[in-house]
Amino acid sequence: MRPAWIRTRVVLFTVAMCAPMLRLSAQSATVPGGADTLLDGGTLNDVWIHINARDWQSLHTNYQEGTYYPVDFEWQGNRIRNAGIRVRGNTTRSDHKPSFRIDFNRYVDGQDLFGLKALVLNNSWHDASMLHDDLSMLLFRAMGIPAPRQAHVRLYVGAGREYAGVYVISEEVSKTFLTANFGDDAGYLYEFHRQDGDNYGFQEQPDLGWYIPRFGPKTHETDSVANLYTPIRTLVEAVNEARQDNLEDRLGDYLDVNVFITELAVQNFLAQTDGLVGGVGMNNFYLYRFAGKRLSMLIPWDQDNAFSRVDVPPSENMGTNVLSSKIWDEPKYRARYLTRLLDVADLVGNGWFEQEAARQFEQVRQAAYEDPLTPYSRDDFDQANALVQQFARERGDVVRQYVASIAPGLLNGRPRSLRLQRRRPE
Amino acid sequence: MLAMLCAGAVPASAQVQLTFDKHPAIDFGNAFTASVRVKSQNDWRDFPPEAGANEKNVFDPYRERIAVEGKVMGRVLYHVEREFHDTSSPWKNIYVDARVVHGLHLRGGQFNMPFGLDQTTSLMDQDFNYHSLAGSFLAPGRSPGVMTYGDFFEKNALAYEAGVFSHDGDNARSAQLTDVRVAPTFAGRVTVKPFSRWGALHFARSMETAVAFTDGVLPAGLYNLKGQTVPGDAFVQKVYVNGRRQRLGVQMQWRPGPVGIQAEAMRVRDTRFGQGIEDEDLSDLVERAWYVSGTWLVTGEHKKETITPARPFLNGGYGAVEVGSRVEQLSVGAGPPLNPAVYGPRSRYVLPTGDVVWTTGVNWYLNKFFELSLNVIREDRALPRTTTLLPGPVWSRTFRIEFGL
Repeated sequence: MRPAWIRTRVVLFTVAMCAPMLRLSAQSATVPGGADTLLDGGTLNDVWIHINARDWQSLHTNYQEGTYYPVDFEWQGNRIRNAGIRVRGNTTRSDHKPSFRIDFNRYVDGQDLFGLKALVLNNSWHDASMLHDDLSMLLFRAMGIPAPRQAHVRLYVGAGREYAGVYVISEEVSKTFLTANFGDDAGYLYEFHRQDGDNYGFQEQPDLGWYIPRFGPKTHETDSVANLYTPIRTLVEAVNEARQDNLEDRLGDYLDVNVFITELAVQNFLAQTDGLVGGVGMNNFYLYRFAGKRLSMLIPWDQDNAFSRVDVPPSENMGTNVLSSKIWDEPKYRARYLTRLLDVADLVGNGWFEQEAARQFEQVRQAAYEDPLTPYSRDDFDQANALVQQFARERGDVVRQYVASIAPGLLNGRPRSLRLQRRRPE
Repeated sequence: MLAMLCAGAVPASAQVQLTFDKHPAIDFGNAFTASVRVKSQNDWRDFPPEAGANEKNVFDPYRERIAVEGKVMGRVLYHVEREFHDTSSPWKNIYVDARVVHGLHLRGGQFNMPFGLDQTTSLMDQDFNYHSLAGSFLAPGRSPGVMTYGDFFEKNALAYEAGVFSHDGDNARSAQLTDVRVAPTFAGRVTVKPFSRWGALHFARSMETAVAFTDGVLPAGLYNLKGQTVPGDAFVQKVYVNGRRQRLGVQMQWRPGPVGIQAEAMRVRDTRFGQGIEDEDLSDLVERAWYVSGTWLVTGEHKKETITPARPFLNGGYGAVEVGSRVEQLSVGAGPPLNPAVYGPRSRYVLPTGDVVWTTGVNWYLNKFFELSLNVIREDRALPRTTTLLPGPVWSRTFRIEFGL
């Protein structure tokens, strides 16, 4: 019989030798494709959150707070220990089926899951189909706009591995995202937080303090207010001062007008009611200012309110935003915008968008039926998906007819489909 | 008001005396006495700039307290004390105390639990500007409760204190709980002066040693004890605990003539029942701290709780000058050092952290009211990679002007 102190040291030594594997297993290639496999939507993945029962209860009771709780995150046998989880969301925040943010390096410095420092699990609270966000991001990326990768997962929770429903797993717009999409993460990234009562659309705001609650810094968080917000105010001034017939002259250094037009085109093609030109002003985007430059870009986020109606005119709400107004009112830019709308229509016109909607529906259908926490019935889910597929099938023609009605010349000589991208762009 | 009411109840023949020796006092004969104590400590601090640390003001009004204490009917002692810079819990020691029989006193109210020599020494009688890490973070501090205490044999050769308190002391995070029912904590201390009756060992007569404990229920949550650097930044990882908290401490004090030597060691054990990620029990969390300090009154006065200069400044002398040094350590957690992923709030292992602090200082007692203190402090910190605090050596300097009435 070994003395107790020898046994203790043997156990400690063994743990010390084996412990690194706990983390390395998550980062090494035990899953071909790594994070891509989790986020490409090719299969319906299962993820398992190991969490203390008391924390799971507290997380629901205090769902309005942003308190983190420790969890182990497991996917395909890879277990990331000591990650942090908190409830997230604004209007979708719920104690019945909360959305979550999982932060892999909350408690362990530098920990990640195949390069992802954090993941978001969205509850699709406002979207009975569960597909709006994922399909929208897919279309943004197909049109060349960087947007977070998303997929559906079945979520299991706790020591008993209880099924907690279907979630949309999404990469965060973070430094990792910036590096992957721009090769640079040294710039200034802000998450836009719409304030109640706002109907904001690039109207000038001389007080820097106005920007503080609306543009939450995600990088350079400790910089001074002047460093963080003067460039945003300058960008807004440039939007307002730019001449309608030559936006680039004043605005070109601050915003790529063509990229903004493409973003408008995608969102309005998707009949998004809560985006850059939604009914309540600008919402659901990040702003990234590139390192060492004045140039910024808007990055889309949370497109649950897309696919609102197939017959929404793609000019709706263009007048609610200073920049979109100038684009719409100036024939040169309106033509560009309508052309990009046609590009989107052509892109989805070959049927891949509808096929993708149908594929995702089939992929998640059974899991959604069995979802114990969704607020929607099976019929709600089926009907919402039928509308999504109808939208994907018919929206291109609606948009084309609209463009033909106000600018028939733009359709002349245009091929039926540009075939810009097929299926998933990644 | 209380004095006036009591005065009304005092026979006209009672003699009313107003005195001002060290502090203003009023006596209504044996019926009621009251004296006012004022304590003021103001610091000028020089801390190193550290990324991620809260900004600290150079000037720190460390303590501004007023207290009223006295006796009622010659038997019941009372004490009421308020701090003006602590808005969250301004009332400090508030208690009544009475001797029942020889060797048996009773005290009730809010006061320091009998654990930790440094923690239970009045802030005006500290040898250094800051409490020790052990006294600040592992000792419980004050709590509402009742306590019995007394001593036996000649010259207090054996003394005891034992009490039950409503929570774990105001140094513990759980003391701030308002929505969780916290069960009582028991505390006790036995102090021995082994040589107090030995006339032949004159130099050793002041030596005393004690052993103390606390034992209480610990609510489930992130309630392990705190640990902060000298500038006040937290370095101990918050972890979930549940079950019981037990403290064990030993202390020693010896004051031969102008020299003072003092040491303490304490260990705190928190259980963590059902606190793992999978609801499993976790191994106990153990926090340890110790210190050894020595002081020397260069001007020759005898070391006592309160130093009164033999030749006050501007009154025929230079006051009293004392030099001293203290070394101490606080350490928390243990586990394999190779992989940070094994440490977490609900992990078996708790991130090992610690702080070793050397404090060297000089105290200049100008008279019985004023004292100036200068401390130079060096820290060597054992910190996780995640923190942006400096690991050490980190140097701090504090200068204090103290006024006591």
